[in-house]
Amino acid sequence: MNVLILGIGQSLRWDDAAGLEAVQLWQKQHPDSAAQVKVELSELPGLALLDLLEGVDVAVLVDSIQKSTLPGTIIHLGPDELDGFTPDARSAHGWGVAETLQLGRSLYPALAKCRVTLIGIAGEDFGLGAGLSPIVREALDKASDMVERETQKALKYQKAGTGQVSAFPN
Amino acid sequence: MRTIEVPALARVEGEGGLYIGLKDGQVVEIRLDIYEPPRFFEGFLVGRFLQEVPDITARICGICPVAYQMSSVTALEKALDVEVSPQVYALRRLMYCGEYIESHALHIYLLQAPDLLGQPSALDLAAIAPEVVKNALRMKKIGNEVLKAIGGRSVHPVNACVGGFYRWPDAAHIQALLPELEWGLEASKETVRWSLTLPYPALELDYEFVAIHHSEEYGVMHGDAWSSKGNKTSAADYEMRYFEKHVQHSNALHGHTAYGGTYLVGPLARLNLNHAQLFPAAQKALRDSKLKLPLANPYKSLIARAIELVHFYDEAIQIIKAYQPEGPVHANLKLKAGEGCGMSEAPRGLLYHRYKIDEQGMVRFAKIVPPTSQNLPRIEADLFALAPQLVKMEQEQATLTAEHLVRSYDPCISCATHFLKLKVSEVGYA
Repeated sequence: MNVLILGIGQSLRWDDAAGLEAVQLWQKQHPDSAAQVKVELSELPGLALLDLLEGVDVAVLVDSIQKSTLPGTIIHLGPDELDGFTPDARSAHGWGVAETLQLGRSLYPALAKCRVTLIGIAGEDFGLGAGLSPIVREALDKASDMVERETQKALKYQKAGTGQVSAFPN
Repeated sequence: MRTIEVPALARVEGEGGLYIGLKDGQVVEIRLDIYEPPRFFEGFLVGRFLQEVPDITARICGICPVAYQMSSVTALEKALDVEVSPQVYALRRLMYCGEYIESHALHIYLLQAPDLLGQPSALDLAAIAPEVVKNALRMKKIGNEVLKAIGGRSVHPVNACVGGFYRWPDAAHIQALLPELEWGLEASKETVRWSLTLPYPALELDYEFVAIHHSEEYGVMHGDAWSSKGNKTSAADYEMRYFEKHVQHSNALHGHTAYGGTYLVGPLARLNLNHAQLFPAAQKALRDSKLKLPLANPYKSLIARAIELVHFYDEAIQIIKAYQPEGPVHANLKLKAGEGCGMSEAPRGLLYHRYKIDEQGMVRFAKIVPPTSQNLPRIEADLFALAPQLVKMEQEQATLTAEHLVRSYDPCISCATHFLKLKVSEVGYA
C-alpha cells in the first residue's frame, strides 16, 4: 500500500503556506514516520495533483482553507466528506483540489479507490508575502499531530498486510 | 436595462469583468475591467541581486514561469554582455518546449474545447469524452515532466540563472522522457486533425500580428519583434514602437503601437509570421490542414496552438536526442553597471523585460511588459467587432460567445483568484 502525505499551498501568499509548513513540521517531529511514506510539497499542483496521486492508495492532503471559522481552526475531512468540499481559493486556471479530484475520479478507476483525506488549516491573511499569521502558526503543532495520526493509521494497516483500502478505519 | 451576470468563470486567469453598454440595439461601450490589484513585481526587483531575478519573476505566473525566467535572463545577460553556450541555449529551448506543451495542452482541451463542444466545463467534457480528456492530461503531464527534469519541479522551476543553469540535468533522466514525447508527438498530430473539426464562430479580423521572428528557428528567444505591417524591431528598440498606457477601468496597462493602434501577440501571430520556421512535422500538419494563412479568427487560435504543440514535441525530441551535457553549465559573470532588454515568446505571446543594474549587480530599474497587457485593447476591439452578433443573440448565448472570445486569448490576468463577470446593459440617455 502506497501512502502519500502532500502539503499544498503558495509560500508567498501568507497563510496559504500553512499546509506546506505543517507537513515540514511533521517531518521534523516524526522523522521515522516520514521515512516510511512518500512526502511531497506542492505550491500550485492544479491538474498535476492527479500525477502526484498516481499509484497512491492512501493520500493525506494538508492545505490551507478559507472558511468562515476562526483562523487557526483545523478541520479533518474524510473521503466521504471531501466530495462536498468546494474551496474558495483556486489554483491556476480554476483547477483547485476538489475539482481536480472530481475530474480524476471520473476518469481513472484506480484514483476512485484512493482514500483521500484532507487536513485543512483555516487561514486569516492570504495576501502577498512570506510567513504565517501568529494564530495560524500556533495551529501547526495540532495539524502535525493530525498528520501523524493519519500516517500511523495507514502504516498500521500496511503492516497488517491487508492491502485493502476499504478496510481502513475511520 | 438588459443585464447578464456570469459568476465564477473559472477558465481565465485573474480577476476581471466585462461591461457591454447598448443603446437602441447598438453597442456604445465595451470595457474589459481588470480590477485585480497590481502586484508591483517591478518594484520588488529594485535593490535585489541580479541572480534573484529569474526566480522572483517566475513567481509572476504559475502557468508560464519559464517565459518570465527566460526574458529576464536574456535581458540581464545583455546588460552584462554575456553569451551563453549552445548547450545552455538548447537546454533553455527544451525547458520552453515543456512549458508550451503543458500550457497549450491545458488550454486546447480543458479551457477552450468545452466552449466549442457546448460543454460547461472540462468536467462535463470528461463525462462525454473521457478518452479525449485522458489524452489531454497525459499530453500536459509530459510538459510538466520536462520542466521537472530540468528545473526540479514543474511549477516555478528553479535551475535557470543569469549565464546558464545551476547544474546540468542528468542525461539519463532527460533521455528517459523520449518515449512519452514520441507518444505526445503522435497525439499532437491527432490534436491538429481534431481541432480542424471543431465548430468555430465566424469572426475574421484585420490584425497587426506581432511576434519574435528568427530566420533559422521558430522564434521563441532569439530574434526581432516582427509585425505583419512590415515593422522589424529589436529588443533594444522595443519601447520605441510599443507603448503601454493606463486606462481608468483597468489595473493592467494597455499596450499600443507608436501610432496608437492595437496589435495581437500570441499563437496566431507566431503561426502567421513564423510558419516557415516550424519543424517538419508541424509544417506537414499545417499543409495537411489546408488552412489559408494568415489565420485571423481569434477563436481559431486553438488550431495555432495545436500546430505549435506538434512543433514543440518534435523540437523537444530533437534536443533530447542531441543532449550531451558538457562544458561550463553557466558563464562566469563579470559584474558591471549596465542596461539590457530581453524578449521571449510566452505561450500567450511576446514578453518583454528591461533592467538597469549597478556595478555590484543590484537591480536599479525593472520594466516588464506581459503579453496579456498587450492583448487587452485587442480583446476589447474584438468584442466591438463581435457586438453586432451579440445584440441579436439570446442573453445566454451572447454571454457564452463573448466569454469564449475572451477565453480564446487564454488571458493571464494574474495568478490569484479567477473569475470574470459579464454585464450587458441597455444604456439610457437623457
